[in-house]
Amino acid sequence: MMKVILEVKERHKPTLPIEAECITPKNFLDPERVFHVWKGNKELDITEVFHVRKDGNAKSADQVEIIIRGDSSNIKRVGEYMDGGRILIEGSIGMHCGNFMSAGTIEIKGDADSWLGREMHGGTILCHGNVEDYAGSGYRGEKKGMTGGRIEIMGNAGDFAAETMAGGEMIIHGNAGDMPGIDIKDGSLTIMGDCSRPCGNMSGGKCWIFGTAYDMLPTFRNEGQTSVDSVPVTRFSGDYISRGLGMVYTANHKYME
Amino acid sequence: MKTLLIKNAYVIDPIQKISGETMDIAVRDGKIVDDVKNPDQVIDATGMLTLPGGIDSHTHICGTKVNFGRYMSPEDMRAGRTSRKGDMHATSGYSVPTTYGNSYRYSRMGYTTLLEGAMAPMEARHTHEEFRYTPLQDCLANTLFDGNWFALEAIRDGDIKRLAGIIAWYLSAAKGFGVKLTNPGGTEAWGFGDDVTCINEPIPHFGITPRDIIVNMIEANEMLNLPHSVHLHCNNLGKPGNYMCTLDTYNAIPDLNDKRQSLYSTHVQFHSYGGSSWNDFCSKAEDIARSVNDKPQITIDTGQVMFGKTTTMTADGPMEFNLYRLYHNKWSNHDVELETGSGIIPVHYRKKNLVNAIMWSIGLELGLLVDSPWQCILATDNPNGAPFVKYPEVMALLMSKNYRDAEFETLHKSTGKRVILPSLDRELTWDEIVTMTRSAQARALGLIEYGKGHLSEGAEADIALYPINVDTTDPARDYERIINGFSTTEYTIKRGEVVCRNGTCTMESNHSTYWVNPHVPPAYDMGTDAAFIDGFNKYYSMRITNYPVGEEYIGRNVCMESEASL
Repeated sequence: MMKVILEVKERHKPTLPIEAECITPKNFLDPERVFHVWKGNKELDITEVFHVRKDGNAKSADQVEIIIRGDSSNIKRVGEYMDGGRILIEGSIGMHCGNFMSAGTIEIKGDADSWLGREMHGGTILCHGNVEDYAGSGYRGEKKGMTGGRIEIMGNAGDFAAETMAGGEMIIHGNAGDMPGIDIKDGSLTIMGDCSRPCGNMSGGKCWIFGTAYDMLPTFRNEGQTSVDSVPVTRFSGDYISRGLGMVYTANHKYME
Repeated sequence: MKTLLIKNAYVIDPIQKISGETMDIAVRDGKIVDDVKNPDQVIDATGMLTLPGGIDSHTHICGTKVNFGRYMSPEDMRAGRTSRKGDMHATSGYSVPTTYGNSYRYSRMGYTTLLEGAMAPMEARHTHEEFRYTPLQDCLANTLFDGNWFALEAIRDGDIKRLAGIIAWYLSAAKGFGVKLTNPGGTEAWGFGDDVTCINEPIPHFGITPRDIIVNMIEANEMLNLPHSVHLHCNNLGKPGNYMCTLDTYNAIPDLNDKRQSLYSTHVQFHSYGGSSWNDFCSKAEDIARSVNDKPQITIDTGQVMFGKTTTMTADGPMEFNLYRLYHNKWSNHDVELETGSGIIPVHYRKKNLVNAIMWSIGLELGLLVDSPWQCILATDNPNGAPFVKYPEVMALLMSKNYRDAEFETLHKSTGKRVILPSLDRELTWDEIVTMTRSAQARALGLIEYGKGHLSEGAEADIALYPINVDTTDPARDYERIINGFSTTEYTIKRGEVVCRNGTCTMESNHSTYWVNPHVPPAYDMGTDAAFIDGFNKYYSMRITNYPVGEEYIGRNVCMESEASL
């Protein structure tokens, strides 16, 4: 097993984002590798931003654990293209955490910024705090968001969670913002709290909302009552603005006044 | 007083009927001359195929529509990024790159002149501004007239001379080059929520047919003695069975000009479809090619489709709406008041999609079945059929049966039943490929006398030197070498200066915008015609005095004067 501890140094301007796409378990397998991060258009050695400590040896990415400490809330692109192993973030993390990841685990003790698990294919992300917008989405213009894997958010999610989702599973234990699951094509989205305007232009997949769905879109058809795990819910099919092949289950829903 | 000598160049120049001669080319002040003494620069071109600079006679690279393609496809902008390097700016985009991206990538392939296929006159400023930032090519813009209300009214009233006057006014106001008709009548009908099925159906409000529009426009175009003919995107683009409509259109075309064609029919691949639906969709390239072979008054470009992601953009609004209903992906639709419309949709052509595989075959069939390369121009209708960076692959496919067969093997299994491509043995020669990529364009656009498309004395020194040794390369077998050779020039020379060396561009080019200014008798000068000015101020949302594009928008330019015979 290898344990890599990255502790963010005291920074002169902590709000300036750092792009650190090199931080993935497999990159630490190569002992010769030089790690660079970017601050704006300046390329810095990783030691200018982090205290790096490496213990143990590993033969595959699965045996690597990375722990990020300190104020990492503006460190972006951690775990990009990750294909195994584990990343534990003890604080909060910046945007684009877990981009395109295909396997492994990311655990965030604090909050996550936007685009958490953007276009991920597999693996697991667990966030104990809140996340900002576009969790599990496709980036601007992309047709498919997450296609596999699992994102679990213990707090609230921002707007456009699971936009263009095309597979996998997302669970939001708190509330979601506006338009969760917009353009969802496949996969499952579960929201334990409230949200508004869910699943616009949905063309497949399933969505469960156990709080209240505000401003329910009129292009969904009410298919009557049913129950999920003995919770009574209303079943909707839609979105009929698209092909109407998706399903939304809501415990409560309200149409726009 | 800069001079340049290119030594031992292996030259093919079909306009001068030079078919592979080793010679020296001398350049002084951007023009080709007989000889120079003590040249400032000498290039040893031994073993390099040396051609006049490439001309693309139908591409979409600048203007509002292209820019909207960029705007609505952020994923495309991420697909082709290059960073700043030396004199080169950073670029982004693959099918709709930034202007510098277009310019560098064209220059790398040896192209020095580009014709923007469709410019709405009202939005001409944007096109010209982007031309200024396309630094390594001369640019021209075809101007849209398919739904121009004043033109349509003149056609309805049967007044061709007035129509010519209207065309003349718009061309010089928009600093345009040629007359473009996109789905004539159809885009206007689309404004009324309708479309046309073929050339004999009257359009709403005006009651005239697309046939009236096409024929009258051709007559008016020839009255103005413009360098280029009418540039037509036929009706019914992309619909199964549309070849009948294309043939009907071709049969209606008069032969009015001895120097060049009377009709340039663009992206004909999209107009050569048989069948009655997508289920029995098939190739009718043979019928179309036979018609073209019979009619010297028609020149076509192939509109080849190549596999991969791209963006379709055209002034044909209703066609893009049909595509939208097919793909359910993002779609843009745009109306230009009193003039035309447009639509944009991203597409992905796939080898395993039967329709796409047939489209790919049709483009090649046209290239192989039209006898004269002077009548069949190589183009992909960039970016509609494929981004222009695929041109070298198209050239290799046309030159090598082996390559075609190898590619054909990878397509949808049923393709062979719907096309005749596998039975075509023709392999185009070097001369034919050179004709299809520059000489035929120069003739079709009427640019020969402006010194483009050939290397005679007095011509513009736009020269492309490819790292291809013709003597030792057998295109039928070494198709990889053809693709690589035509993809990156050793030297691209624009107006006597090396602007691209092995794919690395420099910014030192004094490119120009070419535009026409037809002189008409005062009776047909719309700038002083009371009825035209009244109509203009009544229906346009802008004043007539604000409409023309000022010289300050176009920078260095060449005004092509023509004297109308009205």
